Amino acid sequence: MTSRTATSTPASSPSTPTVPPTGSSAKTSSRLRRGRPELYTDYAADMAMFNTPAKRLWTGLLLVGLLILPFYLDRSWTSLFITVFIFAIGAIGLNLVSGYAGQVSLGHAFFIGLGAFTAAYFGGTDPNFLGLGLDMAIWLPMAGIVPAIVGWAVAPLASRVRGLYLAIVTLGLLFVGGHFFNEFTSLTGGPNLGRTAAPPVLFGVDFSSAGPLLGIEMTARQRIYFLTLVFVIVAAVLARNLTRSKVGRAFAAVRDRDIAAEVMGVPLARTKQSAFAISSFYAGICGGLISLTSGGRLDPINFAGAEGLFLSVTFLAMVLIGGPATISGSLMGAAFVVFLPRFVETVAHYVPAIGSSGLFSVQQLENILFGVFIVAFLILEPRGLFGLWLRVRNYWKAYPFSY
Amino acid sequence: MSTVMQRPDATAGSETIRTLPTRIRARAATDPDRVAMREKRFGLWQDITWSEYWDKVSTVAHALVSLGVQPGDRVAVHSENRPAWLYSDLGTIAVRGITMGLYPTNPSAEVSYLLRDSGTKVLIAEDQEQVDKALEVEHECPDLEWIVYLEPRGVREYDHPKLMDWPTFLERGRAHREQHPDLLDRLAAAAEPDDVVTLIYTSGTTGPPKGAMLTNGNVEFATRTLITEGGFYDPPASGDDVILSYLPLCHVAERAATTWTNAEAGVTVHFAESIETIQANLKEVQPTLFFAVPRIWEKIHAGIHVKMHAASRLKKLTYGFWMKVAERIGDKLVANGGNHTLTTRILYGLGHPFLYRALRDRIGLRKVRAASSGAAPIAPEVLKFFFGIGVPIYEIYGMTENAAVATVNRPGRVKLGTVGEPHPSIELRIDDETGEILTRHPANFAGYWNKPDKTMETLDTDGWLHTGDVGVWVDGTHVKIVDRIKDIIIPAGGKNISPSEIENSLKTSPYIKEAVVIGDQRPYLTALIGIELDMIGDWAQRRNIPYTTYRDLTTKPEVLQLIQKAIKDTNERFARVENIRKFRMMPKELDHEDGEMTATQKVKRSALNDIFGDLVEDMYANRTEHAGGDLVSVHSVEVAEPAEEGAT
Repeated sequence: MTSRTATSTPASSPSTPTVPPTGSSAKTSSRLRRGRPELYTDYAADMAMFNTPAKRLWTGLLLVGLLILPFYLDRSWTSLFITVFIFAIGAIGLNLVSGYAGQVSLGHAFFIGLGAFTAAYFGGTDPNFLGLGLDMAIWLPMAGIVPAIVGWAVAPLASRVRGLYLAIVTLGLLFVGGHFFNEFTSLTGGPNLGRTAAPPVLFGVDFSSAGPLLGIEMTARQRIYFLTLVFVIVAAVLARNLTRSKVGRAFAAVRDRDIAAEVMGVPLARTKQSAFAISSFYAGICGGLISLTSGGRLDPINFAGAEGLFLSVTFLAMVLIGGPATISGSLMGAAFVVFLPRFVETVAHYVPAIGSSGLFSVQQLENILFGVFIVAFLILEPRGLFGLWLRVRNYWKAYPFSY
Repeated sequence: MSTVMQRPDATAGSETIRTLPTRIRARAATDPDRVAMREKRFGLWQDITWSEYWDKVSTVAHALVSLGVQPGDRVAVHSENRPAWLYSDLGTIAVRGITMGLYPTNPSAEVSYLLRDSGTKVLIAEDQEQVDKALEVEHECPDLEWIVYLEPRGVREYDHPKLMDWPTFLERGRAHREQHPDLLDRLAAAAEPDDVVTLIYTSGTTGPPKGAMLTNGNVEFATRTLITEGGFYDPPASGDDVILSYLPLCHVAERAATTWTNAEAGVTVHFAESIETIQANLKEVQPTLFFAVPRIWEKIHAGIHVKMHAASRLKKLTYGFWMKVAERIGDKLVANGGNHTLTTRILYGLGHPFLYRALRDRIGLRKVRAASSGAAPIAPEVLKFFFGIGVPIYEIYGMTENAAVATVNRPGRVKLGTVGEPHPSIELRIDDETGEILTRHPANFAGYWNKPDKTMETLDTDGWLHTGDVGVWVDGTHVKIVDRIKDIIIPAGGKNISPSEIENSLKTSPYIKEAVVIGDQRPYLTALIGIELDMIGDWAQRRNIPYTTYRDLTTKPEVLQLIQKAIKDTNERFARVENIRKFRMMPKELDHEDGEMTATQKVKRSALNDIFGDLVEDMYANRTEHAGGDLVSVHSVEVAEPAEEGAT
């Protein structure tokens, strides 16, 4: 016999777990698993992100769709998609702290703003304002790291309170930060004036101008589309892996019952702190990229005071509508929130009650719809758009039974 | 036959006969890294390759020798299905010992009887439960020298000179193997076709169990007929097939379906976690071959109905529609001997994406290419249902004493209500006078262990095995089982009646789990009814009928009416003298450990007459002291005592 079999643990001794087999049996296993999605012969397959062939197929199709899409879309639609990608990164960040770790944060806009101006500082080339003119390879990570440090620093304050009080504390952060943005004019340009943002030059390639990308001639918009698509995929995969790890489980434990989590040995303060820091990192990256949606200008007013609060609430809406504690929900939520105004605009052409001569303007209807959707989702489907998807999936999963 | 026949190892002499262990050894040599079986532990189906399998078998074999097991000695296995069962079985055969299996549900009194009767030397017990049973009766079994336990939990602290844990046992085997590397070769070369390899104790619906001796020759013939020639599954099993092992391995049918099929055809065996998890395990494993006893088929069938009751309206509608189609397909198939016609193919193809594929997937039978049912009669309605959804079940007939080799329904030549045609290579006839089915072939057993008188009764001098079943020919080719000779009812009125036919018809009602027809030497037929707790519980809940226990449920007037209706339905299908006039509800679920059923879930009629004698007298004395009824009215009774726990 081979040494492997001779030294293997007795098959019936439960106290000594044997290492799940690998190697030679892997080929047989994959053949055997076809049509048997629930037959797991190793933990890796069980825990895989795409653990069923159906998931792999649909994710692949979605990816292919997203890759060919910009070649068929007009300028404004491409811009909308870019906005979706950038907002999705921020939504994932908020979902980590609010959806997964259960810590309501209204201060998200502050961290986005902080990321935006950090990026502008490190990458800004405008001589009128502070700016080091560095490459995107440096300013983008910095746009995440600086808010993460700030988040880590302020988290001990926030982690002492819960629920409504936490909302108030983070709201306070928003206003303090807003004041700072408005007054630090050498960096931010001041309210209503703003400054130019860092140019998206990555490793010397200027993505804000037309040119070839991977051998294909593209417009600036298409190039930015692919750039942000890569960022959002990386952000989503990292977040998904984070939530499947020990850290992610600690987040969920804290959300479900913080005292119980602490009893089980989850360090409460540190878990909340890392949730805030990681969330702020995502917010910062979103902020660093956000100027790409606004023609390369940054105005502190957008991140401060009432405007900032509105931005925070918009991100909360993405999380709630998309589905708390789901990464794909964050993506869906971002898409929903970004596409809704365009949808309303389109509809407004055909409904006479909407528009300048009607009962309310397009802008008003948008705001009303936002509110209605948030309330409706909270009441009817707290799991958000992802929950709707779950319903559809479960319907077919048990078919022809109901459970 | 397969290429495995050309044995790669030349060490064994040319006259070495093929046995189960030599097959494993050959596979370990040709296909060392292929998966032989899987066992679910820590949430994973963990692979056991052929080389690991053979390594364990040879280790166990050496360990047994080191414990003093000589050729002809008995080794008992008292465990649920798991790889160690196979290691122990084949390890024993490899040292020319005799394996004896005990049902995990065997109570200690039966354990004592079986260990004593067989004169077991080494007992391999699964866990604390089985060890406790053995220790309780150990003083009654003088031959028992060692008790090897597989699960140390709870047993570790036991201080008993005969106890040994599995790792120590294997360690002894390895040490012994190093000292005697050629022992197994010598033993394999010495093996004879007449060596008894296993004692299979018959379920014993009457009297104490008897140990049927099966020899190497019996197993070889059974393996060839059932597996190589496709008697069990047609087309025959191959290395690409996947099976789930869940029925007790001490029964001949499961031994054939698991151990022999695995050794001969190289199928990958998956061991179910327990009998309770079959449905979940089936769904995971999706076997390609599936053998089940009628009880399991009925359970799957009833489970579908329960779940569909709770389904949403749209799902119910589609299910209802496609099941109507399935019924048509089933009827056509059955009328056609199991052959598809163009119409049924088209209908099935249409229904496949809408219902059949999903339904089969949910019940874990999506990949099943051949299924069989045996060990007890199955209701034709259940067979038709499974035919309709695309899972053809071929009824097979056999018994311990002929190593399960008798008849089978072949694909394309199915006759519903029969157990099929005799295997091509055997002799089978039906006695003209008694109507008893007789078989004669090389798999007829060698006799009962230590019971030459019983052997004489069963095996006559011409070599014919008396099965004890009454059968008739159907169309000259197929055999239909009427009943056990002993069970035939001769009412005071005359004409012989087969109770099992009526009972099976009753059991097609999803609400009836057990039915026992009574009437021997009585003026008319009556029945004792055991309800299907899941179905009736669900039914009662939907009708807002409150109930507490099994017993309480059996006394509800609504339930009694439900049963009454089922009985009336059955009566319509039978002649007037075969009609059931009265019934009583059995107040508890029948159980092996209470002595009401055999380990194979067959009702022990003789025991029931003692246990429920007052229920029977209640009917024939025209009293109404127990819940039940006749064809006109039903009557319930107050449950006086605090109702006992009706849990399964």
